[in-house]
Amino acid sequence: MQTAAARDQYSSQVIENAFLCREHYRLVLRLPQFPPTEPGQFIQVACRDTGISYSPEREIDWVEGEPLGPSGVELMQPLGFLRRPFSLAGRSDGPDGVRLELIHRIVGVGTQWLSELKAGDTLDVLGPLGNRFRLPAVNEIPLLVGGGVGIPPMLYLAQKLKGKKGIAFCGALTRDLLPLTITGDVPAPSQDSTEPLNNIDEFARNGVAAVITTDDGSYGFRGFVTQALERYLDRTFPAGKQQGGRPVIYTCGPEGMMKRVAEIAGMRGIECQVAVERAMACGMGTCQSCCIRLRRDPARDGRAFEGKDWIYKLACTDGPVFLGKDLLW
Amino acid sequence: MLDLSLNLAGLKLTNPTMTCSGTCGYAFEYADFKDLSQLGAFVTKSITAEERPGNEPARIVEVRAGMLNAIGLANVGLKRFLAEKVPLLKKMPCPVIVNVAGHSFDDYTETCGAMDGLDCVAAVELNVSCPNVKDGLTFGTHPGRLRELTSAVKKVLPHKPLIVKLSPNVEDITATARATIEGGADVLSLVNTFTAMAVDIYKRRPRLANVTGGLSGPAIKPIALHLVSRVYRTVAKSAGVPIIGMGGVQYWQDAVEFMLAGASAVAIGTALFVDPATPNKICDGLRQYLEKMKISRLSDIVGALELPGDQPKTAPYP
Repeated sequence: MQTAAARDQYSSQVIENAFLCREHYRLVLRLPQFPPTEPGQFIQVACRDTGISYSPEREIDWVEGEPLGPSGVELMQPLGFLRRPFSLAGRSDGPDGVRLELIHRIVGVGTQWLSELKAGDTLDVLGPLGNRFRLPAVNEIPLLVGGGVGIPPMLYLAQKLKGKKGIAFCGALTRDLLPLTITGDVPAPSQDSTEPLNNIDEFARNGVAAVITTDDGSYGFRGFVTQALERYLDRTFPAGKQQGGRPVIYTCGPEGMMKRVAEIAGMRGIECQVAVERAMACGMGTCQSCCIRLRRDPARDGRAFEGKDWIYKLACTDGPVFLGKDLLW
Repeated sequence: MLDLSLNLAGLKLTNPTMTCSGTCGYAFEYADFKDLSQLGAFVTKSITAEERPGNEPARIVEVRAGMLNAIGLANVGLKRFLAEKVPLLKKMPCPVIVNVAGHSFDDYTETCGAMDGLDCVAAVELNVSCPNVKDGLTFGTHPGRLRELTSAVKKVLPHKPLIVKLSPNVEDITATARATIEGGADVLSLVNTFTAMAVDIYKRRPRLANVTGGLSGPAIKPIALHLVSRVYRTVAKSAGVPIIGMGGVQYWQDAVEFMLAGASAVAIGTALFVDPATPNKICDGLRQYLEKMKISRLSDIVGALELPGDQPKTAPYP
């Protein structure tokens, strides 16, 4: 009997590492098997080769004036040490195994190494890790708010909505930092419009219309994604009115943006599911580095942090998804 | 038949790989990612008498070939440890060593005393050297105080081996090592992390909320190796006190270096974050090394490092 794959350390094969836009790549990995996953979950990616020793014991000959060989490579050239967490941007299961999709942006040595991967290379991944978004109920309208590298989990979520009408709000600094495919047959939206359009392929093919914002107005609404969201909510659900269902907000992106999204949702009594990002070493609940402050709830937290009105939770195992109303950041 | 087993002051381990406190949780956090039964021993996160929330984030930052951490001994405290974690530890498939930290004599004796009667606890390791906690006395840098603490803990822990983890952030590590042995330590473990910092050059601020943190990872291995060698030669060997070597161990070659320098066992910490299978890979490598060197017992290489002036002990390379 074949048992279902458990969360573990897996060796994956790179199928594609496609350049999307400035600094952004879409990485597609194939694994013979991988446990079931849900939007919001993430994997820890080793941005280095875990199959070789970077400190060989072999004595090496060094010729003065020549570069040193592979010994001591860690100190000779920039190389990421810890794994890097990436939320899943998509998944498909087929006869040849599981395909996982990530979107990564070059921000340092680890992602620089990732950007140089080619089809056929192997990549060591650990997962799946973390909790998940609660998918919308029948009477709920999902609003997906993503900023920058917070957009990928929104793509996976859109894929899992299974045709349920949702609206995505995606923001970037400028058009060429937007890791999305703009379809040519829809006219570009005007700079002050927050009308959802079917102009973003990744969302449109899952039946999700999108509002794109850029800080400089180089594409879509000129301004912040939070402003576009607020305008949309005021227009569609004035004074708490619910048309065709209750909105539920999903968000991931820079912390300042997520705080504002949670605030906007909170003021209107809308549930807001926030996928936080924290620096982390392990991703498995051991190193205690990815803590985030939550309102303490005795029913949920038992005797932990007794006597305090707040509690530290770990983004890796308690999260990354928390309710906006619980977060003290 | 290759023999990786060892005896650490009465504590029998099937192989010399252990985990470093604070890098592997309380019990089964890693169970999905590695086979815990293949560990020589498992060392828990530091337990203190009272629950501690730990430091404000940011608590870690990566540096070249390693990382800084300033977790601040975040842990559930003795009461919750006994209620919530001990039942899990009873099911662990390898010997469990509980790491204990504190900020007063009473703290340490209370927590260690509670460990003495627990069958699931094979030994206790004292953390006297956490560099990230500002409250309370510092025991790890003061030989006199360290001697007193060790002997006070030894009194409440008559049935378990006592391991004391030494800080490298001292003027002379042989002085603290000697004080610890005089106080009655059964085993020494060294080294803890090195106090260090990293700066955000654009914000002109430290990258850790705690300002400083402990440096770990391959970056510290050569220094840790030197300290193990020095403590072994100067103090531990003559006293017959075994050493658990740690500090940047990532590959089996690192483990061999530490053992040649005098460590009876090695603990793996930061490398677990990168590759949870590290201890298993190290054991595989050690077996290959023994085969290649035609040695049947791994414990024979402990302290077999030849320094200039030593009598040659080892056979020429086969």
